[in-house]
Amino acid sequence: MLKRRIGLQHEQWPLLAFLWATGVEEIKLRLALGALCLAACSPMNPDLSHLPAAEHRGRFGWLDVVVLGGLFGLLWSVLHFGQGMLVRFDESAMQPLETSVWTIPYYAGRTLLRMWVAFGFSLVFTFAAGYAAAKSRFARALILPAIDVLQSVPVLGFLSATVTGFMALFPGSLLGVECASIFAIFTGQVWNMTFGFYHSMVTIPADLQEAATTFGLSRWQRFTVLEVPASAHSLLWNSMMSFGGGWFFVAQSEAISVMNKSIKLPGLGSYMASAVERGDNLGAFWAVVAMLFVIVTSDQFVWRPLIAWADKFKMELTEASQAPRSWVYEILRGAYVFEWLGSNVFHPMVDFLRKLTRRDVTPSTPVSGGGSRIWKGVFMAVVCGFGLWVGVQALVGVIAAIRTVQQAVSLDTLGKILGLGFLTLLRVLCMTVLATLIWTPIGVWIGFKPSVARIAQPLAQIAASFPVNMTFPIVVGVFVAWRIPMNWGSILLIAMGTQWYLLFNVIAGAMAIPNDLKDAARTYGLRGWALWRTLILPAIFPFWVTGACTAAGGAWNASIVAELATWGDTTLKADGLGAFIADVTQRGDIPLIICSIATMSLFVVATNQLLWRRLYGLAERRFRLD
Amino acid sequence: MLQPSAPAPNSAKQGSPVIAELRNVTKSFTVAGGSEMKVLDQIDLAVHEGELLALLGQSGSGKSTILRCLTGLAQPTSGRVLCYGHPLEGINPHASIVFQTFALYPWLTVEQNVAVGLMSKRMSSADRDAAVENAIELIGLSNYHAAYPREISGGMRQRVGIARALVSEPEILCLDEAFSALDVLTAENLRHEVIGLWHKKDTSLKSIFMVTHNIEEAVEMATRICILFPRPGRLGLVLENHLPYPRDSKSPEFQSLVKVIHETITTLTLPDHPPEPSPVSGAPISRARNRMESIPYVPVGQILGLLSILRDTPDLTNIYDISNEIGKEFGETIGIVKAAEILEMVDTPKNDVRLTELGQRFLSADRIGRRQIFCDQIHNLRIFHIIIEYLKLQDEVDADQILKDIASALPYDNPEKILQTMVAWGRYGGIMDFNASARTVFALKDEDDSDE
Repeated sequence: MLKRRIGLQHEQWPLLAFLWATGVEEIKLRLALGALCLAACSPMNPDLSHLPAAEHRGRFGWLDVVVLGGLFGLLWSVLHFGQGMLVRFDESAMQPLETSVWTIPYYAGRTLLRMWVAFGFSLVFTFAAGYAAAKSRFARALILPAIDVLQSVPVLGFLSATVTGFMALFPGSLLGVECASIFAIFTGQVWNMTFGFYHSMVTIPADLQEAATTFGLSRWQRFTVLEVPASAHSLLWNSMMSFGGGWFFVAQSEAISVMNKSIKLPGLGSYMASAVERGDNLGAFWAVVAMLFVIVTSDQFVWRPLIAWADKFKMELTEASQAPRSWVYEILRGAYVFEWLGSNVFHPMVDFLRKLTRRDVTPSTPVSGGGSRIWKGVFMAVVCGFGLWVGVQALVGVIAAIRTVQQAVSLDTLGKILGLGFLTLLRVLCMTVLATLIWTPIGVWIGFKPSVARIAQPLAQIAASFPVNMTFPIVVGVFVAWRIPMNWGSILLIAMGTQWYLLFNVIAGAMAIPNDLKDAARTYGLRGWALWRTLILPAIFPFWVTGACTAAGGAWNASIVAELATWGDTTLKADGLGAFIADVTQRGDIPLIICSIATMSLFVVATNQLLWRRLYGLAERRFRLD
Repeated sequence: MLQPSAPAPNSAKQGSPVIAELRNVTKSFTVAGGSEMKVLDQIDLAVHEGELLALLGQSGSGKSTILRCLTGLAQPTSGRVLCYGHPLEGINPHASIVFQTFALYPWLTVEQNVAVGLMSKRMSSADRDAAVENAIELIGLSNYHAAYPREISGGMRQRVGIARALVSEPEILCLDEAFSALDVLTAENLRHEVIGLWHKKDTSLKSIFMVTHNIEEAVEMATRICILFPRPGRLGLVLENHLPYPRDSKSPEFQSLVKVIHETITTLTLPDHPPEPSPVSGAPISRARNRMESIPYVPVGQILGLLSILRDTPDLTNIYDISNEIGKEFGETIGIVKAAEILEMVDTPKNDVRLTELGQRFLSADRIGRRQIFCDQIHNLRIFHIIIEYLKLQDEVDADQILKDIASALPYDNPEKILQTMVAWGRYGGIMDFNASARTVFALKDEDDSDE
């Protein structure tokens, strides 16, 4: 295999490249993220890094020029876009966004930077929370239920609260609004990632764990040699999906009206919003193109190479018949510059660091945290103190919220909110059923044709990533022209963003049907409904549940932007909880905001418990293919 | 040459000092239903310097647990683990393990995997490299440095596992069924190499402690063999084995040692009973079982297969030959024979297995007749009455309730497995079935289900 001939050091460099695309990208935040960078750089344990590579090539080629050029370009753009985050911001004298089409690349860069900063934070949180939950029973009892609830809370409803909070934190700077946007993306993607990491941490095979124990690996060695690599594969897929979901939030959070003020952050989402406001169709068109371009580039330049690289972290000991490939990865792997940097900069640095740290540890004791009892105590104290502080703050918050609500919201209003919730629930279910009816046959057809599926599946993924909320105003224009009532039209708007999850899960399900089952069905002459009933529907059911659950979860968030939309001067409003939340957020009516968001969370948790969890159980019990 | 010696384990080893030992170790696990299952009962076992000790036992006898206690991966429920006379705290620094499943990290190369064995040691890079290189060289893995585990064969993978265990220069090498995931030829080859490693005088390695269910493997390699009997695990026979290396498995000395072990296991698992009246059709008289007897976890199909083989090849009576004929491990064969025996389809005088009259009748019966006989025989087993009594009163029983009852009746067995086997037998006998989603056992209502 070609892969083998490249030395072992070389294999680990795409990771560093990835960090240069994520970690180092936010140069402004380098201090904060430097630690993470170091941490993630060494999943290939530094202790091993000095082993001689199997083969040294020692030649710079044109590939290196390309790669170096790319790296410096990256560095420059991070500095360039990063500067914009810190500009002065004055609420009273906010200048409107520039309208020239030529500003789009800059705005795209700002949006992209926001995404990666949020992702960086998500990654740090994932490692910290996921690790704690996997290692400590106490932390697990706290973290898992918290995540379960938090991922049901509609993030968009919170924007108003977080924007005001962060603006107070950074007065006179745009950084506050920037943080609020980043926070919205962060909350949109982090829970899923954390849960995924926790899950793969606790499902590491027992023999691999025992080997780590019996060879006396320290916590850190265990983390870098066993735990991170063992979860790398699933963490990466999870990250990619979550990142795709993040575009929706970045587009929405860039242009927000809160407390009767309209705030626009420079970015693609806000450019789109203002283009629609002005009726600038060409500008809107280019904004959509730019968004697609940015999504596809992220996919091609970051996620695909990472997935190709992470193939070696798969657990099974058999060689995959079809390893994922990426042309960017091939280029990065072919470049000598990383190897050179590794042996001349990185490894000496690691050796030096290790020499520095070696002194405090008494030699020849088996590592088991011998001299670190004090540190352990300090660490525990810090964690407990922080936890206590968060707990107290949360309690105070909840009490304050309940008080405000008690004073300001009557039972009638509460009843009304509940009623609106049922309307939105109806809409979400309607969307799920319709999308299922339409996309299941299409998805199965695609999945049965591998050549079509190879093209269609990534397309569906990109479609799922694309923030359709950018285009809502245009669609609403069509509604206005054709006089489609918003109560029905909003179903379409919701479906536009979330149906894709159903589609690509159904495709994946159809592709996963083993050939022998298909052959058997053909041998016994099963066709038409009989074929669907006996083979296809049961086989794709688990995949459908995943897709439908994701779609429905996204639909609740989408309803906040889909039930209330503006086209020029016309505002269309549907009866539903989403429109209500959007409305009260705009007005800044805090008691009602709290009430409506709580209600929506309640609906989401209830449908999860009553519907999706049961369907998952059913799929797990009856329709597993193994 | 060989001297079967009853529990005095140190007879021939008095000179050599003990490296690590278990003293009066008992270990229990919590099983389904929350009850305790005792897997080890008062184990005394010592690994001496210079010996190759094999612990022989069927699967589920607790031999891996002994290995885990000795290496510090598991703590005994009671009793002590000593290493050079001192109580063991944490991981045993003088021992390292070779795993049955290899337990290699798929994302590390051969070289990096071996280096994992040195991670807990503070040493200079140069020393480390040299040690890794040395271990790789020693086990014949040169040229494989940069390969990933998934790219090499099973035998090579296990070599990596051995190199990783040796690189930290342990005094005891612990092999946990290290050869059982390999094919016959590879395993044989690797066994020779391991013996060679142990003979080498220039390494720190003094002793090997291996755990296995393969009798010939133990006889081929070990200088001392301890046999562990299950439910709960306790040490039975201890044998010294002074045959010279390399050992020829065809030699009479080798064969006679294997035979001794076979006989010991057979007599202890299938004890000869006093002659009994031949069973009369349908009558529930049989050996009085006034205490609950466990049933082996054997599917019905294998019992039927055994009976067919016994009918078709009348010459085949020796249990050891049967084991060879059906291509199963001796331990498994014993389990199948035992299952057939408690159903009274076969009789086992000494090392022989013979069809009983009932077994003959069963084989010549048609499907319904077979089911009826099987059903009657199940009714003779006391353990089944746990469920049968319930089903007299109600149509279905909660599985957890049954599990609890099994756990209290058979404290050394895994209740889940017992229930699984009972349901499988009960299904064949037309008595009961299992509802997986509700987790209940329910009675089969059937027109054939006559009650005498």
